[in-house]
Amino acid sequence: MPLDRRIVDEFVGVLGAADVLSDPIRTRTYECDGLTGYRVVPELVLLPRTAEAVAGCVKVCARHGVPFVARGAGTGLSGGALPVADGVVIGLNRLNRVLEVDVENRRAVLEPGVTNLEITAAASPFGLYYAPDPSSQQVCTIGGNVAENSGGAHCLKYGFTTNHVLSLEVVLPDGSLVTLGGDSAEQQGPDLRGVFLGSEGTLGITTKITVRLLRTPETMRTLLADFPSVAAGGQVVSDIVSAGIVPAAVEMMDALAIEAAEGATGAGYSLDTPAALVVELDGTAEECDDQFEQVKAICDKHGCTRLHIAGSPEERANIWRGRKAAFAAVGRISPDYIVQDGVVPRTRLSEVLDKIAEMADESGIRVANVFHAGDGNLHPLVLYSEANGEAEQAETLSSRIAELCVEMGGSLSGEHGIGTDKACSMPRMFGEEDLEAFHRVRAAFDPDDICNPGKLFPTPRLCGERPGKYRPHPLEEHGAIERL
Amino acid sequence: MPQQGPSAFDAIRPPERELLDDCVHCGFCLPTCPTYQLWGEEMDSPRGRILLMDLAQKGDIGLDGPFTEHMDNCLGCMACVTACPSGVQYDKLLESVRPQIERNVTRTKSDSLFREAIFALFPYKRRLRAAALPGALYQKLATVPAVRRLAAKLPGRLAAMESLLPPVTLREAFATLPVHTAAIGKRRARVALLSGCVQDVFFHRVNEATVRVLSAEGCDVLVPREQQCCGALEVHAGREESALGRARRTIARFETLDVDAIVTNVAGCGSSMKEYGHLLADDPEWAARAEAFSARVRDVSEVLAELYSRDDDGGPRAPRTPVQGRVAYHDACHLGHAQGVREQPRAVLRTIPEIELVDIAEAALCCGSAGIYNMIMPDAAAELGERKAGKIRDAKPDVVVTANPGCLLQIRKYLGEGAHGPVPLLHPVQLLDASIRGVEVPRS
Amino acid sequence: MTRAAPTTLRPTTPREVRDAVLDTPGRLAVAGAGTAADWAGRLHDIDARLETTGLTGVIAHNPGDMTVSVHAGTPLRDLATEIGTHQQRVALDAARVGRGATVGGLVATADAGPSALVYGSVRDLVIGTTTVLADGTMVRSGGHVIKNVAGYDMAKLLHGSYGTLGVLVEVVLRLHPVPKATATVAVEGPLQAAAEHTARLVQSPLEPIACEWVSGDPGRLLVRLEGGESTLHLRVARLVELLGDGAHEVDESVWDEHAALTAGGPGPGGDGGDTGGPAVAPDGAVLRIGAAPTRLAPLVAELPATAVTAGLGTGVATVTVPGAAVAETHDAVAAAHGTSALRSRSADLDAPAWGPAPSGLPLLKAIKNRLDPDGRLSPGRFDPWM
Ligand SMILES: Cc1cc2nc3c(=O)[nH]c(=O)nc-3n(C[C@H](O)[C@H](O)[C@H](O)COP(=O)(O)OP(=O)(O)OC[C@H]3O[C@@H](n4cnc5c(N)ncnc54)[C@H](O)[C@@H]3O)c2cc1C
Ligand code: SF4
Ligand code: SF4
Repeated sequence: MPLDRRIVDEFVGVLGAADVLSDPIRTRTYECDGLTGYRVVPELVLLPRTAEAVAGCVKVCARHGVPFVARGAGTGLSGGALPVADGVVIGLNRLNRVLEVDVENRRAVLEPGVTNLEITAAASPFGLYYAPDPSSQQVCTIGGNVAENSGGAHCLKYGFTTNHVLSLEVVLPDGSLVTLGGDSAEQQGPDLRGVFLGSEGTLGITTKITVRLLRTPETMRTLLADFPSVAAGGQVVSDIVSAGIVPAAVEMMDALAIEAAEGATGAGYSLDTPAALVVELDGTAEECDDQFEQVKAICDKHGCTRLHIAGSPEERANIWRGRKAAFAAVGRISPDYIVQDGVVPRTRLSEVLDKIAEMADESGIRVANVFHAGDGNLHPLVLYSEANGEAEQAETLSSRIAELCVEMGGSLSGEHGIGTDKACSMPRMFGEEDLEAFHRVRAAFDPDDICNPGKLFPTPRLCGERPGKYRPHPLEEHGAIERL
Repeated sequence: MPQQGPSAFDAIRPPERELLDDCVHCGFCLPTCPTYQLWGEEMDSPRGRILLMDLAQKGDIGLDGPFTEHMDNCLGCMACVTACPSGVQYDKLLESVRPQIERNVTRTKSDSLFREAIFALFPYKRRLRAAALPGALYQKLATVPAVRRLAAKLPGRLAAMESLLPPVTLREAFATLPVHTAAIGKRRARVALLSGCVQDVFFHRVNEATVRVLSAEGCDVLVPREQQCCGALEVHAGREESALGRARRTIARFETLDVDAIVTNVAGCGSSMKEYGHLLADDPEWAARAEAFSARVRDVSEVLAELYSRDDDGGPRAPRTPVQGRVAYHDACHLGHAQGVREQPRAVLRTIPEIELVDIAEAALCCGSAGIYNMIMPDAAAELGERKAGKIRDAKPDVVVTANPGCLLQIRKYLGEGAHGPVPLLHPVQLLDASIRGVEVPRS
Repeated sequence: MTRAAPTTLRPTTPREVRDAVLDTPGRLAVAGAGTAADWAGRLHDIDARLETTGLTGVIAHNPGDMTVSVHAGTPLRDLATEIGTHQQRVALDAARVGRGATVGGLVATADAGPSALVYGSVRDLVIGTTTVLADGTMVRSGGHVIKNVAGYDMAKLLHGSYGTLGVLVEVVLRLHPVPKATATVAVEGPLQAAAEHTARLVQSPLEPIACEWVSGDPGRLLVRLEGGESTLHLRVARLVELLGDGAHEVDESVWDEHAALTAGGPGPGGDGGDTGGPAVAPDGAVLRIGAAPTRLAPLVAELPATAVTAGLGTGVATVTVPGAAVAETHDAVAAAHGTSALRSRSADLDAPAWGPAPSGLPLLKAIKNRLDPDGRLSPGRFDPWM
């Protein structure tokens, strides 16, 4: 049902006609984000240029009960920026100024459309950088990162977006502008900034973000090691951790993922190895060198078949280029694929991978694996061909993998979010009471349910009348946690 | 999404389904797309354009209106091809879509008048030479009907076109290259040079420098007479019929020559000649010939870099004199993105002693020249030109080099004067030529 | 109307906590070990006191995963001892840990110590919580893995809630390895000099874990480093050189003095055992303040502080000021765009616990309203805001 002409005029009044897209062909290009399985064409796309204009748009939405969905670069992999029918998309990509780099206080003030990599680009002349580094960093926006609490390879040591955001200016769903958090970590009252982080665009729109910057480490040592099996690689990770070493990053790829990434980048990965591990250490020269020797020894101990040590910043960049291109590059080895994102306790990595391989065999669908081995965050890439009618099978396998992660005591998502994709799986991880409490929090921010409605929570429309029933959490079954 | 109806494309080489399906919608191409940078709108990004092509192919939308508008907005810079981790061949997609638009979409009167005039002028060396004569463009080209029509209806557009023609001396405009220039010293290769249309009239000095450098580095250089335009501008604008005719003529002109490589010093010509094989793939008579031709096409920097890196008798041969100063190399999109030639020109420049090669920030972003783009989309081109000029100024170069005449003109227009007069804007071979000949670096 | 003296409830399981919340009519004060009982706004109109000190013990610790789940009433000190045998720790060194503060209490008060410079405050270490709300709803959020973005992060909401939004019953924490070696370097000098040292230090690659100025005559800057057994001394030497004349390595016990001073006492503290903090001087009041790091030293210098510990790298300081100066301290901090909260003070001091309300206050009220519509939990903590 098209929006009332008068409402459209109000948006035009706020933004000017050029920044309101209403042509159905143009708005079509906003029908999905990085998760293409779900598509909804919005009524309007609004492209404000200032925080005030964002607030103005949201006020119009609030006044007329028009649902809105914030959108950054649209790289989300859980359908978080999927438009709502009869609603509007508010694109933040034009708010893209780095407002300030405060070198003394090591922080930067950003508009939400600044890309993750631009933060580091602005900071690096001062020897500073922004730590969270999603693989999509050259394109995803800090606003999207905030909404998804994005992580990256280097989050093992340095934490996720939530650990690096000091304050947020937020347009609440009623159009009011508030600041959450402050100039220091010392907060006044409950950490509402923390609640907003990772809320997947359901609690408001952030229009200004202050992030912490870190000093570029004195030394970085990166190695790429091949192993005869994923299990051997996993053992290396365990040994590194029990040696008391916290690497900056530990990433693993299996043969299929390597094939794709190497095809895309020619970064120098071995095409004949079953598993490759990227380990990076950083820190002061003394510590870093000392620990690097230990890591090399651990690699040897577990039958490393090739050890490539990055000898220059270019070689390091190359190794990372290969790793970071992995997801998107899978398009080269499969016409269609689903990027799954689940977490398991690190000690159960091998077990889970075996299980996944088994499940893949059963369904006759290939699964490539890329994962943040240090924190147990798996990215199984489910490869299929829609043309061959494998879509549904792949969907099922992918959901089963995510739910397997929960059964193993892990989580449905480590960094990509729940969004539309996993909303129906939420009852696997959370009970009715938990979800009910989440709803109450949401209602405090958005009583009229106009801010990215339909995401995160299982809804009858999305999941059928009876969304998946709660099954006791395995930790409960083991008596590790208790539920009443 | 399943097919919604008959494809909006006609049956002549529509964009291939597999190529459309390669796009996984990851958005990695957004930051390097100049139009997305300018306007921040999804439908003017590679991802958005591919989605629109997909919808048209599925019969969900038509070709006229927004579809054509957003395809026209594309500069064809191919930065997205470089950026895409999934290996999406946007170049091929665009190449199939543009002729579809030319065939199936009626353009506005003024737009088609303007396009006709552009293509009545640029591919013709004789008309370009006439244009180089003193006097107003209209008077010089009054015999060309398309130009006459434009002048009558839209004199302003004609003036805009004229403003992009560079100043040139008459001697240069009418000079010709020798048909055969022998290698100096032992011959390392035999090459044939495409002298180009715009290049030969307005940048004849670059052609001369190219011949001298190639010969000094041990190449026999043939410059066949009766060369015509290679069709690059037309290929990139989707004027397929005419472009294919030019392609066939160019192939016919060069294919019988006994040479190791067909060399061009124009990025745009190189990229389209390398595509002949693909463009003519459906033509049984020409497919194999085109394929063989494309396989031999090289940018001049590729030829030199290959000579320098040979194991046997490799390395620079001609002695060089030092060139001091900061030299900024601008990657022409049709060389860097379309042909993946980035390292070679730099490697070639580094053979000049004492040269300080500097990078330009946002190197992947187009300068806005993009074939005929700066004539038909002057506002966008101007914004991109300003932006590029800003980054070049930041690099504080003493000389700027780039391997495409369009880029040279565009950058010259926006760079303006430095503290010591205009910064010289050259083709890289001109710099190398000066170094080899031990003469002063030319001003243009 | 007079109220009966509040009863004390001491449940020992999550289920009992829920029952206690459901079965006890009226208003509940939520308490841990009482080490911060007199922080923030003063409780009023309490019908019962719900203490978590009976709800103790590790629920699950898998050393290989470096996570631990504990009952919320477990003193962090005890937890540290238990996991320490695996060379692991919770990287939180808030001053009152030594006095028996519980894990839940530390979360609810958003506490942190000097090492927040690197490890953050307790919010950065909590990966999951289970909470009983005022209506008995039991909410679990987060989980047992370090990385997890499923659902809203209720732990953050509880962090700094001072018992007003729910009763934490379980907390899951991420662990860090115990460093192989630790060293502290001190340099004497006034606050301003320390700030200058810090400015250089944070630009350096030395990666200090903590960087604190403690008041005294003239006061001194303490810098802690962590590292390998055979390598740390090299960095200590670099640090001493960087800090210049007078910098020298000191015994780790300086941090006990730091903790005592942070608690408002004259130090040395760390006496353990008892639940009350070291007594604040009779007319004194302790405030926790935060500001942009470079604003902190000038701000503190301007306050009538009698004792100070100042995290010059984090921008977080704890100051003791005369009771009469609390309001003006709040104002001065607010003027510097900072935040302030009143901590320990003498029992009869009537001073505002908080400075000017943040712009998010209506939101905070809305949340309170949704989670505890009858205002049952810990009333008074956010006076005068709500
Ligand atoms: C190839 C590839 C690799 C990836 N790798 C990683 C990775 O390593 N780690 C990782 O964490 N993620 C990764 N992602 C996922 C994605 O890039 C992140 O989730 C990213 O944070 C999304 O940012 P965006 O700007 O594209 O946001 P969008 O996709 O546009 O939006 C994401 C969500 O944020 C909301 N949102 C956007 N802007 C705002 C705002 N200003 N205020 C409030 N809400 C807002 C939207 O409503 C939506 O719910 C990857 C994606 C791709 C395609
Ligand atoms: S060719 Fe250039 S302008 Fe066109 S879509 Fe690709 S990057 Fe954008
Ligand atoms: S063209 Fe390539 S980079 Fe762009 S969205 Fe498609 S797959 Fe991603």
